[in-house]
Amino acid sequence: MANLNIRSQQDRTYEAIVIGSGISGAWAAKELCDLGVKTLMLERGRNVEHNKDYPTTNMLPYEFEHRGQVPQKIQDENPVVSKCYAFREDAMHFFVKDKEHPYVQEKPFDWIRGYQVGGKSLLWARQVQRWSEYDFEGPARDGFAVDWPIRYKDLESWYSHVEKFAGVSGNKDGLKTLPDGEFLPGYELNVVEKYFQEKLKENYGGSRHMISSRCAHINGNLEHFAQQGRGQCQNRNLCQRGCPFGGYFSSNSSTIPWALKTGNLTLRPDAVVHSIMYDEEKGLATGVRVIDATTKEMEEFYAPVIFLNAAALNSNLILLNSTSNRFPNGMGNDSGLLGKYVAFHNYRAGVSAEYEGHAEYTTSGGRPTSGYFPRFRNVEKQETDFLRGYAAGFSAGRGARPETDAIGMDLKNNLLNPDKYGPWYVGSHMMGETIPKETNYVALDTNLKDPFGMPQLKINISYDDNDEKMIKDYLEQMTEMFDKAGFTNIQTRDDKRAPGLDIHEMGGVRMGRDPKTSLLNGNHQLHSVPNVYVTDGSSMTSTSTQNPSLTYMAFAARAAHHAVKESKK
Amino acid sequence: MNRRIALRHLALISGGLVMIPSCDFSSDDILAAYENLKVTASQKKLLGEISNTIIPAGEIKGALDIEVPDFILVMVNDCMTSENQAQFTTGLAAFPDYVKNTAGKQYDKLSTKEKEELILAGTKLEGDENKALTYFLNTTKRFTIQGYMASEYIQTEIMPYSLIPGEYNGAVLITDLQKPRING
Repeated sequence: MANLNIRSQQDRTYEAIVIGSGISGAWAAKELCDLGVKTLMLERGRNVEHNKDYPTTNMLPYEFEHRGQVPQKIQDENPVVSKCYAFREDAMHFFVKDKEHPYVQEKPFDWIRGYQVGGKSLLWARQVQRWSEYDFEGPARDGFAVDWPIRYKDLESWYSHVEKFAGVSGNKDGLKTLPDGEFLPGYELNVVEKYFQEKLKENYGGSRHMISSRCAHINGNLEHFAQQGRGQCQNRNLCQRGCPFGGYFSSNSSTIPWALKTGNLTLRPDAVVHSIMYDEEKGLATGVRVIDATTKEMEEFYAPVIFLNAAALNSNLILLNSTSNRFPNGMGNDSGLLGKYVAFHNYRAGVSAEYEGHAEYTTSGGRPTSGYFPRFRNVEKQETDFLRGYAAGFSAGRGARPETDAIGMDLKNNLLNPDKYGPWYVGSHMMGETIPKETNYVALDTNLKDPFGMPQLKINISYDDNDEKMIKDYLEQMTEMFDKAGFTNIQTRDDKRAPGLDIHEMGGVRMGRDPKTSLLNGNHQLHSVPNVYVTDGSSMTSTSTQNPSLTYMAFAARAAHHAVKESKK
Repeated sequence: MNRRIALRHLALISGGLVMIPSCDFSSDDILAAYENLKVTASQKKLLGEISNTIIPAGEIKGALDIEVPDFILVMVNDCMTSENQAQFTTGLAAFPDYVKNTAGKQYDKLSTKEKEELILAGTKLEGDENKALTYFLNTTKRFTIQGYMASEYIQTEIMPYSLIPGEYNGAVLITDLQKPRING
């Protein structure tokens, strides 16, 4: 019996364990496997194999019973996830339904999750802008959160590393606020977007820019990507279904099959992580305790290195639930700050308008991206009554709309021959930096459990005065920029959405220089448990304005190499 | 004495205990496929006639030819709140009276032009008493357009849909896009 146990324990021992198979976890696994490390990757959801498990990917519009709409009963049962723009009939099977993993909203928070192999990398918006030096210096310069223990130069080569593999299309724009990277040819802005780009330069003396947003889509260098079994993006804009061409980057199409090919990866779906185990004598983590999602039985896996990439809030949950004599309040939580200083991106506001110019033009075909405004507020110095600033999306479009007032044969002929063009539509939405605060936190509920018997996460996160001022400024500035460009019928909106719907929640396990005020060091190791690396959104010290996934990928790759280097010492 | 009157007499004589077989003043079979709606077979037929007025058959098929009424009922049954479903079915039930009161005839006895005018007018009625009817007609029109345009027939035979839209061109001259006209 004893022998059996020993062998069983050996069978469940790896050289590294990665918790989570989303964008950051699969990057950690891919790097570890490339470096020859026998790696176990745990995923709480079901397996989703590239192509094989994309049931809707080639469905035509009329093949969806409700033409894309989510039935009312499902909406009624899922008030949270139904708010997400991508929760539609074609992709709803990739989202977590509200009852599957309940949580406590001490304040309104829409927690949008994807529990399957690949996680939310199947569903993301694929926008990948690098952080700049201004972003890493932000907290130190403006006196909030704590100083980042790293700077742009620490991450620069890792950004390049992940961009080359993931495939990033973009232009070399030469902007200090948004460093250039390893780009495939960028996508074209349309005639009105280019017009607006020029008008901005003219009207703001070259201090404001709107560029073609860098996106994780393959646009060229096809032989290189064929090694991953991926091909050119076909501009389908059906990415949320999973892409049969592997045209956009996801764990499923890219890093996971790559890691499996090395022979070093063991992928274990349906494994809900309960906690990370700790050995007091060694002062190190020893492994991971999981609940089998099917049998609900507890199982243990062991490894000398643990990567925690469960997505921002779930990584907090796992550490909070990893208690021991040494860490009664959660693993690595000597500072008492675990779960605190959570922040997000402010997506509440938008501006739309019309443009009567360029009336002879329209667009054709598809493209996977549109325009992007890098931050222009408070870049070199503080100049407004709020801290930091916002980036913004921008796009212009036009299409022929049929006239539908009539009925009968007139209506039918109008529908079949749409040839009436209205003015161009232009629109923008803000992506604001929010300031991490101790009062924006997550914690474990002491009574309520989820269906796996895990404590429910209590979420207490809200906007503050800085966010409100920033919304006001965005609406004013964008209105002014639109007005100066000759756009008309300018409409502003603040949809008052709850935090969370941005799906950019970050922090709680922040990096820093001082163990008294942070959880992780500059290499993403828990200060007090150095064989645990956390490289997903929970590690963020501040949020900046850029879509964060590219930064998580770079974090994961960099930390994986650090872990391997350490293990060889 | 015709059969209907005879039955009515019989019902009166026997204190209303007689089960009245299917005819226009009784409830006919409720269609089980639309469980939230309690729509009858004859109501579905009427809905089909309305959708066929909205998008009639001509050189190419019309709404009724490609089962748009079924799509309408699926959408109302599955994708609407119960309040809106009630509005819709109330409006549907009120439609025959609206037709009789306005045109003095049954719907299927009207000319195409009369049907079109009746429905167009019905989509624009004001006042609380007409709310359900107007809601029903506008909803039916919206779903008729959607069900027709997003049908396999239109998207394969008439205006073929491609999952791959082609490379982006951000400055296409509208004059270069002239397509042969499709005659409905």
